[in-house]
Amino acid sequence: MSSPVIRLTLRGVLARKFRIILTVFAIVSGVAFVSGAFMLTDSVKTAINSLFEELRGDIALEVRTPIAFGDEATAQRDPVPAALVSSIAAVPGVSSVEVNIIRESTIVKPDGKPLKTSGPAFGISWLGQNGLDGRTMLEGREARGPGEVAIDKASAERADYVLGDTVTIVGPTGKGEFTLVGLTGTGDTSGGGGASVCAFDPATANTFLGAKGLADSIYVGLESGASQATVQKAIATVITTKYEVIPGEQSAKETAGAINDIIDIFGKLLLGFAAISLFVSAFLIFNTFAIIISQRLRELALLRAIGASSRQIRLMILGEALIIGIIATAFGILGGVGVSKGITALFNATGAAFPSATITISTRTILASLFVGIGVTVTAAMVPALRASKIPPVAAMRPEIGFTALQRNKRLLAGVITLLAGITLLCVGLFVQPGGTIGILGASGLGAILLFLGVASLSTSFAAPMSAAISRVLPFPLRPMTRSVAGRLASRNAQRTPRRTATTASALMIGLAMVSTVAVIAASVQKSFRDRLQGSVTADYFVTSDGFQGLPPAFGEKLAALPELGDVSPFRISTAQINGESKQIGAVNVEMGNIVNIKLTSGSFAALGNGQILVHRDPARDLALSVGSSVAVTWQNGTTTPLTVGGIYDDSSIAGNWLVSLDVLSKASTAPPVDFFIGAIIADGVDIETARLAVNKVADEFPSALVQDQAEFQKSQEDQLNQLLFIVYCLLVFAIGIAVLGIANTMALSVYERTREFGLLRAVGMSKRHLKRSVRWEAIIVSVFGATLGIAVGVPLGIAVSIALPESFVNGISIPFNTIVVVLLASIVVGIIAAIGPARRAAKLNVLEAISAI
Amino acid sequence: MTSTTPTLVAAAAALNASKIYGKDDSEVRALDDVTVDFAEGQFTAIMGPSGSGKSTLMHCLAGLDTLTSGKVFVDGTDLSGLSDRELTVLRREQVGFIFQAYNLIPTLTALENITLPLDLGGVDVDQAWLNDVVHAVKLESRLTHRPSELSGGQQQRVAVARALASRPKIIFADEPTGNLDSRSGAEILAFMRHAVSDLGQTIVMVTHDPVAAAYADRVVFLADGKVVDEITSPTSEQVLDRMKKLGS
Ligand SMILES: Nc1ncnc2c1ncn2[C@@H]1O[C@H](COP(=O)(O)OP(=O)(O)OP(=O)(O)O)[C@@H](O)[C@H]1O
Ligand SMILES: [Mg+2]
Repeated sequence: MSSPVIRLTLRGVLARKFRIILTVFAIVSGVAFVSGAFMLTDSVKTAINSLFEELRGDIALEVRTPIAFGDEATAQRDPVPAALVSSIAAVPGVSSVEVNIIRESTIVKPDGKPLKTSGPAFGISWLGQNGLDGRTMLEGREARGPGEVAIDKASAERADYVLGDTVTIVGPTGKGEFTLVGLTGTGDTSGGGGASVCAFDPATANTFLGAKGLADSIYVGLESGASQATVQKAIATVITTKYEVIPGEQSAKETAGAINDIIDIFGKLLLGFAAISLFVSAFLIFNTFAIIISQRLRELALLRAIGASSRQIRLMILGEALIIGIIATAFGILGGVGVSKGITALFNATGAAFPSATITISTRTILASLFVGIGVTVTAAMVPALRASKIPPVAAMRPEIGFTALQRNKRLLAGVITLLAGITLLCVGLFVQPGGTIGILGASGLGAILLFLGVASLSTSFAAPMSAAISRVLPFPLRPMTRSVAGRLASRNAQRTPRRTATTASALMIGLAMVSTVAVIAASVQKSFRDRLQGSVTADYFVTSDGFQGLPPAFGEKLAALPELGDVSPFRISTAQINGESKQIGAVNVEMGNIVNIKLTSGSFAALGNGQILVHRDPARDLALSVGSSVAVTWQNGTTTPLTVGGIYDDSSIAGNWLVSLDVLSKASTAPPVDFFIGAIIADGVDIETARLAVNKVADEFPSALVQDQAEFQKSQEDQLNQLLFIVYCLLVFAIGIAVLGIANTMALSVYERTREFGLLRAVGMSKRHLKRSVRWEAIIVSVFGATLGIAVGVPLGIAVSIALPESFVNGISIPFNTIVVVLLASIVVGIIAAIGPARRAAKLNVLEAISAI
Repeated sequence: MTSTTPTLVAAAAALNASKIYGKDDSEVRALDDVTVDFAEGQFTAIMGPSGSGKSTLMHCLAGLDTLTSGKVFVDGTDLSGLSDRELTVLRREQVGFIFQAYNLIPTLTALENITLPLDLGGVDVDQAWLNDVVHAVKLESRLTHRPSELSGGQQQRVAVARALASRPKIIFADEPTGNLDSRSGAEILAFMRHAVSDLGQTIVMVTHDPVAAAYADRVVFLADGKVVDEITSPTSEQVLDRMKKLGS
């Protein structure tokens, strides 16, 4: 015999299946993002790993320069002399040896514009099919001499080149023209995983790619039967300890790892997104259950009266949550496949050429989804279930007795305590900042959750007066709604059940609190960013790269040679260790002092010329550095340079935290230099047009270079920031979408709950139109209530976070009043939208049936 | 002629029971020092004007509600000393209920509703007894129907069958025929009478209907929260007569 609790649970879900669908939908989206994040990262990573494994081909060993510290995958390594090739080739067991050169090379389309790629644009040295790496020859043959190139088929097709065409390519040494002799592929794809690849023969690569007799690394192939480990040892004895020899698999894994890291960032973004939507969903589930339970009050009380224990009632409600959770998780995992596929497609549409991956659904994905989907649902249903189990049996006959709800005073107290605990934790997280990033995020995240819960619980206490106030004001400046019967009824209804009004509003409250928090932070960041850029950029021209790999140094050199320009300086970035921690070090010319105002507070920019280092005031404070102190900088190749602090500066927005001269960098490291940007000032007496013409002429040779004057540069920087903020807003709009669902759901439930009452109203002569209007008004009151609360919570929260953000990031608070007004107005629209379905339902009620409804 | 010394063993009893709603000015004495007992194997009707405390008395006797002062006993057990858990078990095993309406769980079939108290307690159903009960209330052909598919009278019969299924010590019925036409009402009452006379059940029923009261062995009259009168082996004329006196 099946247990009555299970039977009641199943029947309960079945009887309410339509009302439960909306709830399920809310969780589905959260679970979809969780599982989608895992699936995306899993499958793309697998695909990328196998792509690089394929690319590895027959490379059994690789010889390269070791790095002293830092990320193996993204290391800037000193090159290896190509001369090592002959001594390695002499090692027994070695079948062939190749130099590996990979530099930036942009393909210029027939129309003179650079071919845009979503990945890097490479030029490489390639021996063709017989070479060691796994690149395949799809059409034609490999490049065999100067003036020849093979490029990957996907890029050739995108650029509209066919075999025999003359292709213009811009490499580190400048522009070159080549005959297209071959089309290459990777594995079973015709592309390079989003990268464009120009393959030259080794000699051409050496000159055109500016390798100067050096190789990035050396590939080694083995004779069949030779032991990889033995040969590795043998090579290690031939090369000096300046170099290292590693298995090819390791190298492939490291390269793939660098891309995997980027994929992981996407994964984390999705997870953050999932967290927000799950948090809002939790409120929605809580709502739905709270309301379903009050509707079933009589039924539950009857069960208690005929002998169900409070535990059985609790289990029954939790069982329903469990079922909903399981269903939602199943759909969520399906949705995850969609999310993962969708995102891959989205990126591929913008040219990212993610390797075609079969979706991997790992056990971990399933477990995480189950944990999240079921966990959130059951947790959210916990409180309603507890309340249900406390329904007194007498309520079966006197439903008006209702719940033995928490005493008003007790609830107020609980709300205040939760709220205070939330604020305290939040402040500790933001301002005391215990335990690094995890501590900050953990404490302030938990604090924010408690804060929201506290406000949600307290809002019950002022739902009635606030609803009354809102209905007296709305729709300002037209006739207030309380002047019509429908409006008065709506207002009374919102006031009559403050608990329901408050729970309904809570989902929207959370959504809007997050939006207004972000809006305040965004506005403050934008303002600070703009202020700083205005103060710090004094350059007439900024040249940045629109690709991934920065600018070839040749570009800066050519600009510096222009008589039309005065001061010119590149900005190069290198990784180094200071005081045991990895830091980004900027390398510039002394002229940079005239191009960017870094607001020196002590010392001088000229000190750079004497081989000294300039330090931003934050790290200077942390390490107790002042002008004249010494710092030891350890570069990635292990070289340590002792430097003297030559100045302390205030503005790190462009220059970063550490600045040295190009000389210091090039003495320490021979890794191929790449310029991050180049700043330039027009020479005295030269007019703007002449200077611009001259600059453009140089830039024509470097299609990936983006020349901007001061205003353009500022605008493009702001645009970048805005793009980032746009993504964040999109995520939040989604959260609000869930909140709308919540209001729709609750309104639908409350219409259902009042079937009888509506029937009565219709019976005594209320028209359908009035009834609809009344439901709509109520939804609007609730929405505005939720929105007001949300803004009231979100704006201070945003201010707090803005204050807590480092001053180098935010140095002033700006409150976006326009956004807030728009959001408030939008909440009215949200209310109207959410009420469409429920209002229609209320109007459709059959009067007779409604009156006789149980 | 109130019987303070019962000749039979009491299935349920109230001793100086008082129930006060509200405070100070708005105080309502729903029960005012009521002492009454209900003998085992008897069918008792409780009557009185609206608001006289009939429902309140029943709720307190059945462990659904608590007294402000005084004691109630079911089968010799003092309910005031019981925890929620013990009260639950008591309701499940010793007490049966029939309400005026909304007796059934809408999502369960008639049969599932009947066996629900047993299922909740994890007790095996005595199939022979269940058949007897179902047969007696003439529900054989309706067992798989949901409450919404049953008439009001049928629903009440299901409620009666549920109350009997677990063979409780005592059944409380609050206006069980209040919503029914006289024929369906008569069927229910006849069946309750049969359950007492032939099956040895104890039933306490609240009613406003003198005809219904006439099915009982004894009628107890309440007014203003007090027991004011009682009749044994009543006829409907006698009851109507007393009611008129009380009403005036
Ligand atoms: N929860 C309550 N709060 C306040 N007063 C109550 C409550 N429940 C009942 N009362 C009052 O207690 C008194 C007795 O109520 P009770 O329901 O027992 O009357 P009744 O005899 O069953 O009436 P009826 O025949 O109308 O059902 C009434 O005056 C009623 O107003
Ligand atoms: Mg009553």
